[in-house]
Order: sequence, then C-alpha cells, then structure tokens
Amino acid sequence: MKLSLVGVGHKSAPAEVREALAVVAAERFYEELRRQGCDEAVVLSTCNRFELYLCGEAGGRDQSWAVSFLERLAGVKLEGHAYARRADAAVAHLFEVASGLDSLVVGETEILGQVKTAYETARRAGMTGKHSNVLFQRALYVGKKIRNDTAIAVGQTSVASVAVQLAESIFGELSAREVLILGAGQMAELAARHLLSKKVARLKVANRTWERGEALARRLKAEAVAWESFAEHLKGADVVIASTASERPVLTREIVAGALPARQGRSLFVIDIAMPRDVEDSVHGLEHVYLYRLEDLEGIVARNLESRGGEIERARALAREKAGEFCAWQRSAAEGREISLKHARRARGEKAVS
Amino acid sequence: MATHLQILLIRAALALYVASTACAFTYLFSKDEKWSRWMLWLMGAGLLLHLGSFGARIDAFWQIPENRYYMPINSFFGALSYLSLAVALVFFVVEREHRLGILGAFVLPWTVVGAGAAVLWADPKVEGLVPALQSYWMSVHPVVLMTAYAAFANAFGVGVALLIQEHQIKSRKPSELCYRLPSIEELDTLNYRIIVAAFPMLTVGIIMGGIWAYNAWGRFWGWDPKETWALITALIYAGYLHMRFLKGLRGRKAIYVSMVGFASVVFTFLGVNFLSQLHGYLSGGG
Amino acid sequence: MKVFRSVRFNIFLGALIAIAAALGTFLPQVPDAPEKVSAFQQAHAYLFPLYNCFGLFDLYHTWWFMALLGLMAFDVVACKLWNKPPDAGMVALPPELTDERELERRLARKEAALRLKPLRARFGVPGGAGAAAARLRAALSARGYHVQEELRSDSGAALVATRHRLQRWGSYVAHIALVVILAGALVKCLFGFVEMVPVLEGGSRAMQNKPWTVYVDKFTVKYYDGTFTPKTFSSVLRVQDADKVLGAKTIRVNDPLDIGGVRFYQASWGAGGMFRSVALRLGHALLRLPQRVPTRVPGTPFDVTADVMLPNFTISGGKADTASLELKNPAVRFTFAVGAHKTAPMWLLQNYPKLCLVEDPQGTLSPAPAPPFQLASIDPVLFSGIQVAYDPGYKIVVAGALLWLFGTVTLFYLHRRRLWILAEPGGDGTEVTIGGWSSRAGREFEPEFKALAESLRRELGGRAGVEFFQNPLVEVS
Repeated sequence: MKLSLVGVGHKSAPAEVREALAVVAAERFYEELRRQGCDEAVVLSTCNRFELYLCGEAGGRDQSWAVSFLERLAGVKLEGHAYARRADAAVAHLFEVASGLDSLVVGETEILGQVKTAYETARRAGMTGKHSNVLFQRALYVGKKIRNDTAIAVGQTSVASVAVQLAESIFGELSAREVLILGAGQMAELAARHLLSKKVARLKVANRTWERGEALARRLKAEAVAWESFAEHLKGADVVIASTASERPVLTREIVAGALPARQGRSLFVIDIAMPRDVEDSVHGLEHVYLYRLEDLEGIVARNLESRGGEIERARALAREKAGEFCAWQRSAAEGREISLKHARRARGEKAVS
Repeated sequence: MATHLQILLIRAALALYVASTACAFTYLFSKDEKWSRWMLWLMGAGLLLHLGSFGARIDAFWQIPENRYYMPINSFFGALSYLSLAVALVFFVVEREHRLGILGAFVLPWTVVGAGAAVLWADPKVEGLVPALQSYWMSVHPVVLMTAYAAFANAFGVGVALLIQEHQIKSRKPSELCYRLPSIEELDTLNYRIIVAAFPMLTVGIIMGGIWAYNAWGRFWGWDPKETWALITALIYAGYLHMRFLKGLRGRKAIYVSMVGFASVVFTFLGVNFLSQLHGYLSGGG
Repeated sequence: MKVFRSVRFNIFLGALIAIAAALGTFLPQVPDAPEKVSAFQQAHAYLFPLYNCFGLFDLYHTWWFMALLGLMAFDVVACKLWNKPPDAGMVALPPELTDERELERRLARKEAALRLKPLRARFGVPGGAGAAAARLRAALSARGYHVQEELRSDSGAALVATRHRLQRWGSYVAHIALVVILAGALVKCLFGFVEMVPVLEGGSRAMQNKPWTVYVDKFTVKYYDGTFTPKTFSSVLRVQDADKVLGAKTIRVNDPLDIGGVRFYQASWGAGGMFRSVALRLGHALLRLPQRVPTRVPGTPFDVTADVMLPNFTISGGKADTASLELKNPAVRFTFAVGAHKTAPMWLLQNYPKLCLVEDPQGTLSPAPAPPFQLASIDPVLFSGIQVAYDPGYKIVVAGALLWLFGTVTLFYLHRRRLWILAEPGGDGTEVTIGGWSSRAGREFEPEFKALAESLRRELGGRAGVEFFQNPLVEVS
C-alpha cells in the first residue's frame, strides 16, 4: 500500500512550529493538495501534533515533497523537527496514535475523537478513497479495542479528576452535594471546575480577602461567603477544598469535630491541596471524615500512570500486530485475492492474542 | 419418584448457583459486562430449576393426605431450600431496582451455602407432618420469617461491601475495586432500605408464631429458644434502626450492629436447633 | 428524668434485655426442662447456687427481668410523648385574613421557612395569587394530596399539601402497640394459668386451678403407615364441675375446647406403663395376657406373667428404663413359672423380635439367646396429655399485634410527602414557590418532586421553565 506519513509531534518539534501548522485550516491543505494532484489524504491536526497522511498515488512520492509542501503552507521550517514513515510503519504509527500510545498522557481518550474528526473532515472534503477509508476505520476500531483489552486507559491521571472520582466513590452522584472552597488559588479553581462539571448543587467560596473570593465566586457562578463563617458552612458542605496560602493549618481537628454533630453522620470529604498544609492530619482520624492531601492524590495518579505504563509494551505489541494484519489484508487485496481481515491473522502465521 | 426428581433438580440448581457466584466474583475484578449478564442468566436458570425442585417436593408432600395443602418446609431440607431460593429472589428484586449487579459477589454465596447445605447435610425425605404442624399457619409463619432472613442476608452482603469500600477510601490508597463498588452513601442507604423492608416482616412473623402457638398449645409466648432468639434478632435490628435516626451513631457503628443482627439471624435459624426441644429440626420435634 | 427520654438509653436497655434473654436460652430453665436443671445442679455443684440466687434457672419470670420489660414499656411511652416529632408541620391558620399588615408578616415568615425546605421549585403563572392558589389546590387534590389552605387573598396565598398522611402516626402506633402487648403479657402473668392434665383414656382427673374435672372418654391415635410418627391423635373430652357438664368436644391438636376463656388443648399423649393385654406368639398360637395375671400356656406346665411395660425402652446404667412416655419402642417384661419355680424375668421388645434381655435381681440386664416366642402386640392404656390454659391477656396481645402491624406498615411502607406552596404577586402574574419534604431519606423524592412541579406549571399555564433549588443541609430521614 502506498501510504506516506509526515508529521511533527510534541516530542519532535517546539510549540511555535506546531502552532504554525495548527493555525492553517484543514480545508486549505486539502485545496492545495487537490491542486497538486493529490486526491486521497487526511490531515490530523491537534494542539500536540500535526500529521499528514497521503494515500494512493501521492503516497508513493518522495517524502521531501510533502515536507516542503507543509513548509510552504505553514510558513515555517520543519528541518529536523518532522518525522516520516512509509507503508507498514506508517500504518503502525497511526494505530499507535489512535490508541493513545503516542500521547503526552498515555492512553488518553481525546486523541481517538480527534482522529475521528480528522477522518470525517477529510471525507466531507472528498479527500478519502477506498484505502484511506478502510485504514482510518480500522484505526478507530484498533484504538478502541486496545483501550478495552489493556489497562492503558484505566485510572484518572490528574489530581483534580482523581479527587472527583473519590468524591463519587463516597457520595455517588454529586448533583445534590455542596462544595466549600477555602482560598481562591488556581489549584482550587481547577478542582472546583472539575466538580462543577458534575453539576454539584451548591458551590461556596470563602477567602480571607473578600475581593479575591468574590471574584472567584463570580467566575465559577458560586456563592461567596465570609471567611469568619467558614466553620458554620462546614456543617452543610459535603466536599471541602482547602487551598489557602496560610502558613498554619486552617482546619483544625476541633473545628471539624465541632461541625460533625450537625451533619448527622454524613460523610465529609476534605481535599487539602495547599502547601503548606491547610488541614491538620488528625482530622482524618475522625469518623466519617476522609482527608486527602496533595501527596495522597498525587500518589494515586502516579500509581495509575504506572499501571498504564506497565501496559504500554503490551499495547504497543498489540497495535503492531493489528497493523501487520491490516497490511497483510492490504497486500492480498492488491494481489486480487482479497482475504478478510480475520484471516489475515492466520496469513501472518502468528498466534492470535484475544 | 418425586423425591428423586426433587434431589436431581436441586443439585442442578446448586451447580448453576455455584457457576453464577463464580461469574459474580469474576465480574468484581474484570470490567467486562458479559460476566454480569452471565451471572444473571445462570442465577435465573438456577432459580427456575430450584422452583422446579420445590414443586416436586410439594407434589410428593401432598401425596400424603394429612399434608394437604401445606408448605413442605418443616424439615431442614425444605427450610434451607426455601431460604436459598428467597435469597436469590430478593437479590433479583434489589438488583433489578438498583442496577447493582456488582453486589452479586457479596450476596450470591448465601444461595450456594443454603442450597449446598441442603444437598450435603439435610435429609430430603418427605414425611407426614406431626399433628402440631397440620395447620394453615405452616404455610405462612415460616415463609414470612424466612423471607425476612433472606432479606437480612442481602443486607449483610451490602454491609460487607460497605465496610470494604469505607476501608479502601479511609486508607488513602484505594484499589481498582473501590471504583467498581457503589459509593458509600449508596451502600449505606441500600443497607438501610433492605432492613426497613425486612424488619416488619420479621416482627409480623414472630407474632404469627405466637398466635399459632396459642392455637396449638395454649400459650402465646413461652420463651422457647427459637422464639427468644427471633425476638433478640428483632431487638438488634430495632436498635440499628434507631441508631440511624440519631446524629452520632450512623456509619460504621450502625453497620456493625446490623451485622450482629445477621449473626443473630443465623443463630436463630441454625444454632437454636441444638438448644430447643420444641422447635428444633435436629431434635425431631418438627 | 432526662435519661429516660434519651433514645440512647433505650437502645442500651434493649441490648440488656437481649443479653438476658440470650442467657436464658443457654441455661436450662425450670418451666421447660426441670430434669436438666437438676442435672446441671449435679454437674456444677459450685456454680449452681450462684446462678440460682440470680434466678437464672427461671430467668424469664424473675423480678428483675420483668422489671426490665416494664422499664422498657415505660420508657417507650416517655420517649414518644415527651420528645418532639421529627418534623414540625406548619400550624394551620384561619383562611380569612383581612389585615394587610398581618398578611404581609405571615407571608414573610412563610417565605423564610420555605427557604429551609430541602427541595424547592419556582415558576411563574399568569393571573392573581388567589386564583392561582385555588387552581393549585384543585390540581393537587386530583393528584392524591390532601390540601390545607392557610392564607388566601390576592396579595398572597399559602397552601400545605400532604400525601399519605397516615404515615405520621405509624411511629406512635407502633410504639404504643409494644406497650399494649406487654400489658397483655402482664395480665396473663397475674391472672392466667397453665396446667398440664394427663388423663388416662376412659378416666378422669381433677384440675388444680379450677374446681373442675376432666374426663377423657376415648382417646385415639393414628400413625403414618410403617412408622411411629403419629398422624393424628384426639380425645373425646368432657369437662364437668361436679355434676354439671360445662363442655364436651372431640379435641385434636390445633383444635381446642374453649370454656369461657379456659381452653383445653390436645397437647401430647403417651403410655404410662399400664396395659389391658399383651399378645405373645408361641409357634402358631397366640396367647393373650392381661397385666400381672399368670396365665397357663396351653399344653405346657408353664405359667407366664406379663407385669411391666416400658413405652420407650432404653438401657440406662445397665438397667431397663424408658426414654420418654411416647410409644416409640415398647417392651414388656415376662416371667415364666412352673409351680413355685420362677425364671428370671426377661424383656421382649416389639420392634426387635430377635432381642431378649434377661434381668437379674438387681435389675441389671444381659443379653440372652432369642426365645421361641415373640411379643406380637400390646394393647396399652394410653393417657391423653391435656394442656389447660387460661390467658385473659390474649385478646389484649392480639389487639397490640394488630396495632403493631398497622403501625409498622404505615411507618415503613408508606411514603409521606409534604409540599409547602407560596403564591405571591410577581413578574406579570403570580410567582409560585413550592417547598418539598419527604419522609424517606435518600434521593427517592427528588425526581418525583421535579416532575410534579413541572406538571403543575403546565397545568396552570405558567411560563416555560421551572427553577429548582436544593438545600442539602436539611436532611430529615
């Protein structure tokens, strides 16, 4: 199969190069390609990578042509920053990308949607043909399959999403829960936004300086409350995010213990992402209270990444195997004795991995 | 003939229960939904066979004219058989309503224990009822009580899951299991709701026993070990219900109380047979 | 006094009662098995007096156990009467209110109270507040709500609507039921009696608790084929006070005779050891022997006497004994004599024809070779175990049981829902605010509340869009 891939990624090119390519609309690329006599190509353009897949006739051309084509349209030099692949290697690369194996955060699912969008844009522009159709559809299938069959997509990989996941493990649905934010820092805002996406019932912000607290509350469409009254609001809050700049702990064991009777035994989830600590460690020992410090959340993220990492080799091998299957099918189709993709496995003479 | 059919069917049902429980455990640790489906299908098939076994037993039971038309749960075998049947039925009702198939690993083992004990240790012989048991209460009083016991078994499973979940999150190093189990609040509410539904059944069953005793022996309550322990069970669960209304006593402490309540259920069903003359399956008193 | 109102104390009391009751199941109790109590006394000579002084061998009738029960009953009443109910409903106010200022004040109070309700919805409808309130009332009644109107005028209206109001009483009724049941038990303790009257068939016996005599004219027992399990047993019963017949009936198990509340139950039966005759098979001949009457064996110089019968033969301490009075393993003792010479007495068992046990003068048994005669059948004199029970408290207990049934079913199975509605002028019509509360904890009511608000809005022709608020602070379970 004639397939040529030229691209830049977060590993190979600096941000300016990637940005220059990203600002050019895909339609523009397709227009120019058509003028150059290319009628089968797909452009994959995300904030972390840019890749141009050329199929059919153009796929057999010399790849320096593709590089200069891109340099012309983006107005930036790609020397030394671009990578190129051909035929089987290009197929393997595409499958790995779709599976999230080439992403910053291994196993992330966004890239799958991005590949799908890129493919559909190309199709709408009339830039796909039989080969690219099968190739990209297969890539989407492999991307999903590898995420299901291995553990590369398991576990949250950001502190904020881990916190939300834990909150859900304690409370179930968060849509009737109340969140209290102590402090108005960036980390607090990030965590709050994650919680907001779960449509919590109420969000309160308490900051020492009223203005900053109010500003954050406005941004989050939340309610600003007076700092002095935070102990009272503790009684009604289910999730507390502590992220003040205070030197000494703000939530002491006494304060939390004092709020517990009014809670009638309901759970309290306290997230302490402040440095230095905002919450006394002994608070975790109270019944119904779950205190997670930044290091605990980071530990969970690290463990998740580790287990994802442990799966990389297996996933990569699987992606390569699927690529090999695809190429075998491809060759058989070209030779006129098209076999189904299933049989391609046996044609490769390798044992099938479930 | 019917007794052979009964034994054959319950053995088949037991095999299916074992398979279904195995699926439940696998589902706990794998993400594949197919295990949950298999668990439910196998459990459903097992239930049908079990009902068939029960039907065969009823048929054999009613061959004896004195036994018409009462429920054949006077012996250990019949009681265990009905008990495991009820556990599976209650699980279906709960699972269907709350989509909590993941709790199968905590509840379904009881069906295996019940049906297994019946097959391994209990005598499946069908005999005539002693005169004291020839009453329509025979079909009502034990059935109501054992359905309540089955519900309490379900609640116990939920309680175990809750303790595991709580321990996971409190440890600050939750494992994959933590995210598969339902949330703490959901489990707590489910445990509470099951006990709320079963508690009236338990107390009404006890009262039915008293009325029957009055009609058979002249006294409503005689502090017979089985009666006494059923009452103790009711007291413990009443304690749990009251604790839940109180501010400081929710959470772990309340769950422990509900688990002690279930231990009492087990003792009421099993242990008193070694103590009681009047009520014991083992003492031959019927 | 405060401690009695505390639910914590009640839980503690309940635990105490549970532990005491459990203790009573592990130690033998005098009313059920006095022989076991004696056995315990012999086995544990030092523990017995200690346990006994606490009354542990008749635990359930000790003063302290009864006191615990009584305290529990008192406490239950105390808690229910003196503690506030879990939710304070709104107090009804007269619907006609002309003083505008008073109306304003009350509306403001209602609004403040409304903010505290767990669930809230707000939407706008055209028209005046009074009209809106009337339509809401009709709409809610159609949905099964009982509506109480509190204020109605064009400058504001307030409604309270409840569903399954009965649920509120469930808790009270259930707790009162407990007290009623205990009261019934107390009545039985004070005024009732239970007496076991064993009467030989064809005979009679006088009662102790009443000046009556119980006659059993006939007693029948039928067995399941080939077993010793009784299928049915019954007595033809007659109860007389001197010469007056108070009642007569054929009683069987589960079917007693009732004379003015005193009930005669067929509880048990057995054989005391008397028999009318036994049949001994020698070869082809069948010899019938009455009890203790020496009978000549035809064609021989032997006289044979059957003297003792044991209904449930067992060997205890090497000697003949009976395990119970049930006719499970009958055995008869025979003695053969020629003139003045007597053989050693020998036991024959009906169920084990090959067995023969010879008894020495001390009563010790030893096996003997099978004799050429078998015990063919026995015609024992049975006694019918009549249990006489008088329980004047039973009807009270049943009343309590019914109350309990009603109380728990309404408390646990009904779902009480309450809506507080405030209709005030606002926008270009009336603004309706609804506060919701449910007797069930958890999220059950929320979707129903939302759907209800939405459908009310549609029915009243309100503007699209219902605002929902949630106040998670107030969770009443």
